[in-house]
Amino acid sequence: MRPLVAVCWKAVELRAGVDPLTGEIRPDPRSLGVSPADEAALEWALRAAEGTGAAVRVVSAGGPEADGVLRQAAAAGAAELVRVAIEPGSPSCEVARALAPHVAGAGLVWCGDVSLDRGSGAVPAFLAAELGVAQALGLLEVDLGAGAGGFSGLRRLDGGRRERLRVEGPAVASCEGGTARLRRASLHLMLEARRAPVRIEAAPPPRRPAPHVVGRAPFRPRARVVPPPPGEHAADRVRALIGAEAPAGRARVVTLGPEEAAEAILEALAAWGELP
Amino acid sequence: MTRRSAAVSFEDVMATTEFRPAPAAHITVDGDACRGCTTRACVTACPARLFVPIADGGILFNYEQCFECGGCYLVCNEKGAISWSYPEGGAGVVYRRG
Amino acid sequence: MAERFDAVVVGAGPAGSMAALQLARAGRSVCLLERGPFPGSKNLYGGVVYARVLDGILPRWAEEAPLERFVTRRVTMVLTATQSLAVDFRSSAWGEAPYNGATALRPEFDAWLAAQAEAEGAVLVCSTTATGLLVDASGAVVGVRTDRPGGEIGAGVVVACDGVNALLAKEAGLAEAPDPSHYTLGVKQVLRLPEAEIERRFGLAPGEGADFEILGGTGEVPGGGFLYTNRDTLSVGVVLSLDGLSRSAVRPEEVLAGLTAHPAIAPLVDGGEVVEFGAHLIPEAGLEMMPRLAGDGILVAGDAAGMCLAAGIWLEGVNFAMASGSAAGEAAAEALVAGDTTRRGLAGYEARLSSGFVLADHRRLRHAPGLVLSERVQRRYPEMVCNLVEELFTVRNPAPKPGVVQMARRAARRSGVGLGDLLRDGWRAWRTFG
Ligand SMILES: Cc1cc2nc3c(=O)[nH]c(=O)nc-3n(C[C@H](O)[C@H](O)[C@H](O)COP(=O)(O)OP(=O)(O)OC[C@H]3O[C@@H](n4cnc5c(N)ncnc54)[C@H](O)[C@@H]3O)c2cc1C
Repeated sequence: MRPLVAVCWKAVELRAGVDPLTGEIRPDPRSLGVSPADEAALEWALRAAEGTGAAVRVVSAGGPEADGVLRQAAAAGAAELVRVAIEPGSPSCEVARALAPHVAGAGLVWCGDVSLDRGSGAVPAFLAAELGVAQALGLLEVDLGAGAGGFSGLRRLDGGRRERLRVEGPAVASCEGGTARLRRASLHLMLEARRAPVRIEAAPPPRRPAPHVVGRAPFRPRARVVPPPPGEHAADRVRALIGAEAPAGRARVVTLGPEEAAEAILEALAAWGELP
Repeated sequence: MTRRSAAVSFEDVMATTEFRPAPAAHITVDGDACRGCTTRACVTACPARLFVPIADGGILFNYEQCFECGGCYLVCNEKGAISWSYPEGGAGVVYRRG
Repeated sequence: MAERFDAVVVGAGPAGSMAALQLARAGRSVCLLERGPFPGSKNLYGGVVYARVLDGILPRWAEEAPLERFVTRRVTMVLTATQSLAVDFRSSAWGEAPYNGATALRPEFDAWLAAQAEAEGAVLVCSTTATGLLVDASGAVVGVRTDRPGGEIGAGVVVACDGVNALLAKEAGLAEAPDPSHYTLGVKQVLRLPEAEIERRFGLAPGEGADFEILGGTGEVPGGGFLYTNRDTLSVGVVLSLDGLSRSAVRPEEVLAGLTAHPAIAPLVDGGEVVEFGAHLIPEAGLEMMPRLAGDGILVAGDAAGMCLAAGIWLEGVNFAMASGSAAGEAAAEALVAGDTTRRGLAGYEARLSSGFVLADHRRLRHAPGLVLSERVQRRYPEMVCNLVEELFTVRNPAPKPGVVQMARRAARRSGVGLGDLLRDGWRAWRTFG
């Protein structure tokens, strides 16, 4: 049997309209496509397949709207297109379970690192677990070398560190969009791809009740840690923090008419060095 | 009601339109020809403000937010200073409500 | 050359889709090339489509095309810096079949029209730019080059419907080097407003639309403006003389901001959220700029042939593009059947245009663009008419009302218009529009 390289694609809206008042998303099917990372994944699969004579199969879990997007993969050179019909918004573990049987047997499974629609990048990891193969996730650099089926790559770790990997056996790899630019489809394949068949497969029933989001807090940036200001009592430290530090005796209560009051304020500000 | 159109900055207005950047520029500008140009029609006529005069007398331009109208090469009176073609198919401006 | 079709149509705008539709209907294999990711994605206009030309070709267009609103209110407006004068015409007949104009968004309308061509069998290829013509030893066009690997397409006839920049017609030597005074630049913003608010503001019933054509209002740059109601957006824009623009120090978006801030326009667009901004050229000079319409193996249609009718109170191009594209498709199919795609074999194209409105309207209105963009029509007459109306309706009690003739004379003098100018331009207008 011809060796297989698989790619997982997610059809997403490349430019979603958002109502500024209601936050409601305005869908536009014409903006459906895949992320640069998914495109790079296909490019790596095509290059790997060229070296080994493998066929490239692109699998997408999604609704019928993904078929047109899959045909773009055929135009670039993918030999087989599979769509697993799945409920929109399924959790990453279920998406991976739906994809797994259709990429099993592939020497390498290429994915984009995260999908554009605020994905978590967890599908490739779940997929490796489902398949029981190695994983090389979040690749910044890929080198196919002589092309005997493996590759080496550089990947991002937490805290700005990097890790260089050598992958030989079956594995799931996910790469960033900058690693490769998808080749331009030839005119001939563009014409052929219009009729490329998409095999439709059913998703397995969910294994366990899916995690259920009950509420979602708005995005909040993490607090920045600053050294505590000097001061013996909490009140002093708070005052120092909010810049209300006042040398003792500054406070003054006066009763004046409006004009004199304004004068007094200006005088005080000048005396404190707040006015030039 | 939402924002008044007049209060929105030019950059924000430009950001409402989708551009898919091409791998290569479809406009090229011959800096030498521009240094001799006094009219600089491209600078005022370009509806996307892509042409910016720079200190050495040349013109700096950006092609990523081009509407692909063709006004620049038509108003350019320094023969051949602007060469213009369409960007790679699939790239460039994408109107949703043109 | 790997790919071959009976015909290649370049550009899936209204001209190209109609050409491809007619070729496919006549049983020819046809490839419809479009450089945008989908048809209409590169196309920006005002917005009103006059689609009666489709009556005989796609009779269900009124039900099936993605139209926004049927225009039942047409306002023709003259603006000076501080005044406005409008003729506000309404016709409920325009809201019923056979209809007149309808507002439509081009990315939707053009995609629909291209889909009609596909349904007839045309092969639509998007995201692909035709970069040049293939020419045989005799100089005849035998196909196009595209920007894809293996991208040459051989064809018996190439129909160039590539729009206003007309790069293919120029390459084929059918069009002259362009003259910037033949073009105007359209700059447009789309503003979102709730559907019901649009209907309230413009006094429209659901599904009905308004069309404002504006003369003047563009400050020191000669031009005009437009305002159209879509379902839940407004299209507001200016059309500017390219020459005038490059001579002035004013930027296009500033002219547009000036129009939307005009006291007669501001309340209509107030509160609209900007959802898109763009620009596009208009071939303004009609017959003056029209290229040769046919060469050996090639036809030119739509804006690429300068067939847009832009004459002040009219701004029509989509209908001219659909009609000319359709004629080009029919003529190309005929020539292919007859086995003669030389210039002579393709002569049926020009014959069709001559017997229909496309060339008749352009011949009749050949002097309109020069007249409409002239200094007097742009600035002095709007001012004169507005001043006259202001005089008519300003009550100067206790002073008595002056006679109307006296008022008219005074208004003309204030605007620097002489009786001779009036007679001359009146005669030109009569000859042009009469
Ligand atoms: C501001 C403005 C307002 C207007 N208002 C109106 C109005 O209200 N009503 C009206 O009827 N008309 C209006 N028009 C005119 C109208 O838009 C045009 O006349 C009409 O679009 C012409 O159609 P076309 O098919 O000839 O060209 P286009 O619509 O320009 O189509 C050309 C197509 O060819 C494609 N193309 C170009 N070059 C290539 C290439 N090399 N390879 C592949 N594809 C290519 C383009 O992407 C495009 O899709 C307006 C125009 C403007 C600019």
